[in-house]
Amino acid sequence: MPRTTAREKKPQPLLPLPLVERLLAAAMSRGAEFAEVYVEKSTSTAVSLDEGKIKSAQSGSVTGVGVRAIRGAQVGYAHSDDLDEAALLRTAQTAALIADGTRQPGPIHMSRTPLPTYYQVRTPLADVEVARKIELVQQADAAARAYDKRIRQVMGGYADQTREILVANTIGHLAEDRQDLCRLGVQCVAFGKHNERRTGFHGGGGRVDFRFFEDFSPAQVGREAARQAVATLGAVPAPAGPQTVVLAPGWSGILLHEAVGHGLEADFIRKGTSLFAGKLGEKVASELVTVIDDGTVAGGRGSINVDDEGNAGERKVLIERGVLRGYLYDHLNAKLTGQRSTGSGRRQSFRHAPLPRMTNTYLAPGDQTPEEIIGKVQRGLYCRQFGGGQVDISNGNFVFEISEAYLIEEGEIGKPVKGAMLIGVGPEALKNVIAVGSDASHDPGLGTCGKDGQSVPVGVGLPTVRIDNLTVGGTGA
Amino acid sequence: MSLIDVCQRLVELARKSGAAEAEAYAERTRESSVRVRDGEVEELQQAASKGVGLRVIKGRRLGFAYGTDFSKGGLQSLAERAVALAKGAAQDDANGLPSRALLGSGAPGEYDPAIEEISPEWKLAAARAAERGARAEDARIRKFDSTGAGDFLAHAAIASSRGARGESRASYAYVYCSPVAEQDGQLQTASWSDTRRRLAVLEDPEQVGRTAARRAARMLGARKVKTQKVPVVLDAQMAAGFVAGLAGAVNGLLVHKKSSFLGSLLGKRVAPEGFTLLDDATLAQGIATRPFDGEGVASQSTAVIERGVLRNFLYDAATARKAKARSTGSASRGWASLPSIGTSNLYVKAGSQRPEEIIGQVKQGLYVTAMLGRGADVVTGDYSRGANGIWIEDGELAYPVQEVTVSGNLLEMLRGIDAIGNDLDFRSATSAPTLRFSELQVSGA
Repeated sequence: MPRTTAREKKPQPLLPLPLVERLLAAAMSRGAEFAEVYVEKSTSTAVSLDEGKIKSAQSGSVTGVGVRAIRGAQVGYAHSDDLDEAALLRTAQTAALIADGTRQPGPIHMSRTPLPTYYQVRTPLADVEVARKIELVQQADAAARAYDKRIRQVMGGYADQTREILVANTIGHLAEDRQDLCRLGVQCVAFGKHNERRTGFHGGGGRVDFRFFEDFSPAQVGREAARQAVATLGAVPAPAGPQTVVLAPGWSGILLHEAVGHGLEADFIRKGTSLFAGKLGEKVASELVTVIDDGTVAGGRGSINVDDEGNAGERKVLIERGVLRGYLYDHLNAKLTGQRSTGSGRRQSFRHAPLPRMTNTYLAPGDQTPEEIIGKVQRGLYCRQFGGGQVDISNGNFVFEISEAYLIEEGEIGKPVKGAMLIGVGPEALKNVIAVGSDASHDPGLGTCGKDGQSVPVGVGLPTVRIDNLTVGGTGA
Repeated sequence: MSLIDVCQRLVELARKSGAAEAEAYAERTRESSVRVRDGEVEELQQAASKGVGLRVIKGRRLGFAYGTDFSKGGLQSLAERAVALAKGAAQDDANGLPSRALLGSGAPGEYDPAIEEISPEWKLAAARAAERGARAEDARIRKFDSTGAGDFLAHAAIASSRGARGESRASYAYVYCSPVAEQDGQLQTASWSDTRRRLAVLEDPEQVGRTAARRAARMLGARKVKTQKVPVVLDAQMAAGFVAGLAGAVNGLLVHKKSSFLGSLLGKRVAPEGFTLLDDATLAQGIATRPFDGEGVASQSTAVIERGVLRNFLYDAATARKAKARSTGSASRGWASLPSIGTSNLYVKAGSQRPEEIIGQVKQGLYVTAMLGRGADVVTGDYSRGANGIWIEDGELAYPVQEVTVSGNLLEMLRGIDAIGNDLDFRSATSAPTLRFSELQVSGA
């Protein structure tokens, strides 16, 4: 369980606090109602392996400041990677241009908010020796190749980031956080007969200490990627058209992320461009469906002690037994609609203004075993592994890729079928959820979500779920 | 210090730190944008950014480091970091910078000083005009996801121990509009934009808004159609997406690893006679036009598929060495990443038929105007994407369609192209005219 801890040793803030205050004052100087300074120092390391060799090891470090000024619904945003005081003051004055008056802002009282910690990362990942990161990728590669001689191409990668942030604003927030994040991933290509190629992908990570990989073994990652590629050799085309699908637990949570999650982000709600706008309290899904967005999952890839606007990460129930209960709010959209922030203001980096975003989005477990769920399907598709997805939040159309799937006949899992796209309309698909498993599971820590050109790490989760009448974009009969 | 001096200095520091070869690539960008809502400013953004990446080779091992600190100390530590990182990588004879003979530093790129001078007022007026145009086009447009205009200026420099030394400049002006049409509780959105290297040829913002509005409003009342095999027409924007999906299949590295469905078909017919696919980094006013690629190799135009025959794959220096081919100047990169094979201005040559004629010849089929999901797998050749569009009946656009997928096999799809439009417009780095596929699987009800 996460717990509230006082930091043992307070290091120097990323930017001297008196300077932060001067920047806030400069951003307010033309009559803005709110100003914010976001300082970020991010150190990244990446190792890539291809054709059995460590192709490269790389690292980078980027520091910068983003300043935002808000007046009413209007936002001025400017950023700088030049950290000298004159450059930063110019940046703050640029953001201030959103307002066009003059104002002598009063003194700003900032107080540090004590934050809980949802990630127990002892050693910053940036400080772990590169040689150990290289070793992980090599172990995964060796295990994948040893799995089956038809595995002829393996690409492996490890990447991490240690991101330190400081957020201060004129309503008095002052928050600092260190957010470490890592990910190991392996892709395999299996070569079959007649030029057939199948791919498999596996990996994982999160906001975790490097010791995570003692349990989450790289060899297991390599073998799983290899298994997927080999298992789908000889797959027949997936049947096209609407059918019953059973989704295996874990990364299948991408369904929620696309089918409902984006449509509940408060910017779309305020603009009225989401089909979920104005539907609070209405039934939007089967009563088996309870959807939670939770920034407090221990070590979760999408977890945040604090969001990028200085608000603490939260657990939010979005849909409760099929009824729409809440939206995901950042500061601006909350303020404009008389709501409170749900700690959902996130940004890719100091070069971006925050947007309402998901953290870890998952479906609460039901009470059936996966075997019961599959056993009751006369004819359908069992989807075991998934790729990416996308949604159009206005008409609710969403897609997500299945990369490993099997036919279900008379309650038994049968032949593998080739990957295909699933397509549906959010609320309709969720009304067709007719069974939810007791095997709740989070994805292993792989997801990255894109919105308005900004990428942020997210988690998803789903137990085994049966959905009827979902369209499968296969090529078979 | 000038950008080219930063690069030169880093190369020297890397050599002093023990690198056998070194190459630095730096960029400075300036961007500014305005977003509006209901005629009022919603967001003003302005920023200047910079960064530099250093690639070193030591004992045939590759190291790479990047950063934004251009101070003396910052550059010194960057050089040391890159050299230290090379220790962990494997020895590979293919590692190395492009040979001097390939380097080019031709004209400094497509740069329009008029874009430097665009005022915030101009951007605000352009964004307002786009929003106004969208509302004027259709009364059912009352909401917007976003509407805006902006400019982007980039200055890049490269220097290497092999003698690369060059600078390039790029300028872009853009306007975009994403209106939402509403009727009977259904919402439909579409977006339309124009990005140009020269301000004078930027599309009239009001027309951008009108086009976006038409695309959104004509989708109102969209429904599923039955699962069936029919001819499918991709409009120019979606055809460009299809071509972008093919790009990976001609990536020399994937070909070398026998992981492209086109890999064994060099010199063979893979598409009809009328289909020519070019990757041209020298295209006049092209969005991705540049004097040299991400490792300093002179830009060129490469015929990838010429009149239906697969002619060339795309290579950077290291992959070319491995595959015993020649670099096609296809190294793409930013300062925070190593060069890797990518496309520049990738496009399908225009055909002779008007889009209306292409649609007019279809008895029953789907005209696709928006797609969801990546969907193209160049390793397996599988293709499956979500599609929205308009149903074609007896050559006429009949009614809007959503919640269906379009699926096929990429090679069969290429071979099955039976009409190519005359409507090629270089709106983005990857472009194509309207394309018709003789028969694809549509999955719906």
